[in-house]
Amino acid sequence: MSEKNKIPEVDIVIDQEAGVIREVKPDKLRSKKGHERRVNTSIYVTLVLMSIIWLAPFVFLVFQSFRSYLTESGGMVNYLLPKQWSLDNYTWLLTDPSSDFLRWYGNTLIIALFCSVLQTFMVLSVSYALSRLRFKGRKLIMNVVLVLGMFPGFLTMIILYFLLRQLGLTQDGAVPGLILIYVASSGMGYYISKGFFDTIPKSLDESARIDGATRSQVFRLIIMPLAKPIVIYTILMAFMAPWGDYVFASYVAFGSKPNYNVAVGLYQWVNVNDYQGYFTRFCAGGVLVAVPVTVLFLALQKYYVEGVTGGAVKG
Amino acid sequence: MADLEYFKLSKPQKMLRGIGSFFARIPQGIVNGLKKLAQLVVSLFKGLGANIADLFTTFKNGDWKTRLSYLVMGFGSCARGQWGRGILFFLFQTVFNVYMFMPNAEFSGCYYLGKLSTLGTVETYKQGRKTVYGDNSFFILLYGVLTIFFIIAFIYTWRVNIKQNKINEQLLKSGHKLKTAKDDLDSLRDEQFHKTMLALPTLGVTVFTILPIFFMILVAFTNFDATHQPPGKLFTWVGWDNFNQLLAMDSASYGDTFRHVLLWTLIWAFFATFLNYFLGMLVAIMINKKGIKLKKMWRTILVMTIAIPQFVSLLYVSKMFAADGLVNTYLMKWGWISSPLPFWTDPVWARVTIIVINVWIGIPYLMLIATGILMNIPADLYESARIDGANAFQMYRKITLPYMLFVTGPYLLTSFTGNINNFNVIFLLSGGKPLSLDLAGGAGHTDLLITWLYKMTVNDTNYKLAAVIGILVFVVTAVINLIVYNMIPSVKNEEDFQ
Amino acid sequence: MKKFLAIVLTVVMVLSLASFASAEGFSGDIKIWVADKAVDFTVNQVETFKAAHPEYAGMTVTVEAVGEGDAANKVITDVESAADIYGFAQDQLGRLVQAAAIEVVEEENAKKVEAENDPGSVSAVKVGGVMYAYPMTSDNGYFLYYDKSVVTDPTDLDKILADCAAAGKNFYFEVNSGWYQVAFFFAQGCELTYETDNEGAYTKLNTDYASDKGVAALKSMIKMAKSPAYQNGSSLSTATNVGAIVDGVWDAGAAKELFGENYAATKLPVADGVQLSGFGGFKMLGIKPQTDDAKLAACDALAAYLTSEEVQLARFMDPNLQWGPSNLNAQQNEAVKADVALSALGAQLAYTIPQGQYPGGYWTTATGLGDDILAHKLDDADDAALLEVLKTFVANCEAAMNQ
Repeated sequence: MSEKNKIPEVDIVIDQEAGVIREVKPDKLRSKKGHERRVNTSIYVTLVLMSIIWLAPFVFLVFQSFRSYLTESGGMVNYLLPKQWSLDNYTWLLTDPSSDFLRWYGNTLIIALFCSVLQTFMVLSVSYALSRLRFKGRKLIMNVVLVLGMFPGFLTMIILYFLLRQLGLTQDGAVPGLILIYVASSGMGYYISKGFFDTIPKSLDESARIDGATRSQVFRLIIMPLAKPIVIYTILMAFMAPWGDYVFASYVAFGSKPNYNVAVGLYQWVNVNDYQGYFTRFCAGGVLVAVPVTVLFLALQKYYVEGVTGGAVKG
Repeated sequence: MADLEYFKLSKPQKMLRGIGSFFARIPQGIVNGLKKLAQLVVSLFKGLGANIADLFTTFKNGDWKTRLSYLVMGFGSCARGQWGRGILFFLFQTVFNVYMFMPNAEFSGCYYLGKLSTLGTVETYKQGRKTVYGDNSFFILLYGVLTIFFIIAFIYTWRVNIKQNKINEQLLKSGHKLKTAKDDLDSLRDEQFHKTMLALPTLGVTVFTILPIFFMILVAFTNFDATHQPPGKLFTWVGWDNFNQLLAMDSASYGDTFRHVLLWTLIWAFFATFLNYFLGMLVAIMINKKGIKLKKMWRTILVMTIAIPQFVSLLYVSKMFAADGLVNTYLMKWGWISSPLPFWTDPVWARVTIIVINVWIGIPYLMLIATGILMNIPADLYESARIDGANAFQMYRKITLPYMLFVTGPYLLTSFTGNINNFNVIFLLSGGKPLSLDLAGGAGHTDLLITWLYKMTVNDTNYKLAAVIGILVFVVTAVINLIVYNMIPSVKNEEDFQ
Repeated sequence: MKKFLAIVLTVVMVLSLASFASAEGFSGDIKIWVADKAVDFTVNQVETFKAAHPEYAGMTVTVEAVGEGDAANKVITDVESAADIYGFAQDQLGRLVQAAAIEVVEEENAKKVEAENDPGSVSAVKVGGVMYAYPMTSDNGYFLYYDKSVVTDPTDLDKILADCAAAGKNFYFEVNSGWYQVAFFFAQGCELTYETDNEGAYTKLNTDYASDKGVAALKSMIKMAKSPAYQNGSSLSTATNVGAIVDGVWDAGAAKELFGENYAATKLPVADGVQLSGFGGFKMLGIKPQTDDAKLAACDALAAYLTSEEVQLARFMDPNLQWGPSNLNAQQNEAVKADVALSALGAQLAYTIPQGQYPGGYWTTATGLGDDILAHKLDDADDAALLEVLKTFVANCEAAMNQ
């Protein structure tokens, strides 16, 4: 480890937000001041560098999306800034009759909206039942889910496809088909919200039960109002996931171009040879997908942080 | 060894000993696991025996209503006035019977069950120029499995139906009233509330997870591949052949390739988990330091990468690092290198590049998690350490790290197994490339088992080997989980956190 | 009950109508898969076909976009919901036949195809002795596109590389593809072909790669890959800073746009004293097995029409497609002859070997060899070591027959 990396470790020790620093004697503090400044400077340098590295790909992506596929080149080039800034790619995506982008966008949005409602319902049901109700077979269910989770997800792709096909939910029915698949097994991802329910004191339920409330009333009237953070977290996760699914979506929708989701539609523009010069349109499409999802995510960041932190701690 | 001797050892020795004891405990862990499995099997059989015995005694001691219920499900319930339950039982039995013995043989359960042992014998043939499809092995297997599930469900329901008769008889004998349909509905909102909540999820998981997994396990024992593709061709049972092909050492098999891919999968999972973990913690520590301003901004910048769909960001980054991509072009323009760096073409470079880019993806998550946990560390721990004269690094070693490791133990485990199946990063960045003459079966140097499985399924339609790989991924994950469960204390007890 | 009866009656009526119609034509649904950019073209051609054949006027034809590279995979995965007629590239034919996902060409049509198309394409649509598909294009070959201002002498590989390096430009050749790689091996006179039976099962591998000739070819590739100007790839839209590229006619439009007035195309260069060879490949239309004779007849007629002389010519004339015809008469058309890219392909034709049937394992083996070259694993190997590499290559190709 380099010197630079060691320094910050000094500083958690005097973890300010926990209020420890107040205990340090003033004279000690003064002697440390120069050292402190050097440490902070190097941290700032690191953070600025990191920010550049983290943001660069997205900034580049945005740059490329403004390079016209008509007047410049729609393919890949070896320079960053477009020679001429243009909105051609966006215009094409949104208005050209041969572009299905808006349709794909709509499909994905529909999937995402349905998933965020239905998945949340499934996840909350399972996690509530497993966290706050005690019944025979509870441990068994948890163990079975654990074991099922050890099988890789793509193993069952072919059979899921044919199950959906039997229901008429492939190709032209891909959108409801994908919703069904995403929702059906979503109950298995109960861990994080169960962890949250575990932290709500049991005494709340018990006193309500003594007052004559049924278990379903306890759930609806007492626990749900407290569970807002985890509900928002679950909705957020369920909403975001469908935007990125290429593998299964392409397997289910193949051939039926109007029923692709954005990931399938955009992915082929960079990886299928029939689409020459679509790279900048891919970038523009990527930007249009990323912006609303990112804005939503940043707006609800707080809940996300609570969710992952809780999830990591509770397992 | 006595504790005293242990303390005399130097640090490297202690570490070696620690590692040694880790591996020494593996066999014990496996033995314990097997013991538990054996206990489970024994208790299963015991339970089965008890159930069968109970069936006989219930029949012997029951009245005619109970006895008739053995044949007509729900009869006893109806006869005793529980119409709701009775009709449901009866309906279930009717549906089951219709499904099993439908006059149109093509759709009946018995038809599929009968064909299950061969997976179909009628070949597809031509009548003039048109094609007349024969048996479809795929659907025989699928509906065969479905039928078995249905039969199990039926037996279970039938058993419940009899148990209810017994209970009802006893209740009536002792002068109690039976539950009405309204009572039942009420209890679904109260005592039986878990049933209401779990009904839909259980159905979903059974049909879309358990059934498919069961099906694919069976596929591993068939020759379902590109040359045995229904509906044009039949496939059939081949026993352990596929496992042999994947694991055997001889040159016609994939044994060497499998071990190569497995090893890289484990190396990858290790780095993807622990490198991200420590670097993420480091970044969290930096951002949370008191003197640092704009905390929220730094965090937001990093966190943005989580929100952007990976198929956009990773595909783009992958193109950036191509031999003729932006990174190489600019490095060459600036004269730092004279020929392109082989990010994706050289096996070692490709692996390192993937791990490094994965740090880029992983740090934000870990930074968030670590931030939350660091704030929870009790401040007085550091205070007393300070009074004892500990320096910063010591405190990190003795307080921060152990605390983090303890609290995030379960997370590390799930993260490790999650990385074994981390499909997106590999698929979008390198697609498993570069390939090599040394590797068989289309596997590349950066392929994980899961991406190899994907290639087998989608590119080669080699479902039999894909199924075998899937099973082996399960075995690997299960073994790791078993070992770790027996070693990390904080994984075990869920009630501790309540 | 009444409702049920009504449904049954309707179904019976529809069925009888359908069977009545089938005596003369067909009026059900037919689905076609072609590349995305060919969808509009195909829709128009289908309309023309229906106008010319009143007996088929009642059928509903849907055209969907599935690329020629993907189609075969999708058809094999789920033949029942796949298109009735699908376009695909030649390398997939063997798999389709093995999976029983393609129908034999009707006898009369087969005779016509045999008489009217170039011999390479005719052999390409056959597996064993049986014709399984309708040849659609004969332009799936590759040659050299270059920038006149960069490359001074396009006939010699070393000079091309030197020119590109001097100008700071890249030379693209996809060495890790079994399709391009053969340019070097076949140039040295090597052979690599498979024999199949009529069901598509591979029976024999003929190859002499593991020889001095093979080693010479391998050394040429290794040398090329060492050049600082060399890049792996064959797609103009993902290539950057191109000085020259080995690519096919499908990129002609992109090349014209990229090089502007310096646009030029010619046959492949000479490498280490031998003229580079290559595969000539074909795109074709296949029909999936049908359970209804009337529908099969309709598919036959439609596929035959879509690969006929006038449609092939129209396909070439379409500015979005410009696909070179496999039909002999269409190839004689003045406009076809005058095309720069196609004449380069024509010039290369003398050195091109029509592509036969290859198992999937061949392509991955070739990619493996190419990736090893790109990883510079073989840079310092001597002749004996290279011969060993080629022996492994041949062994893998051999094993590929049974997978």
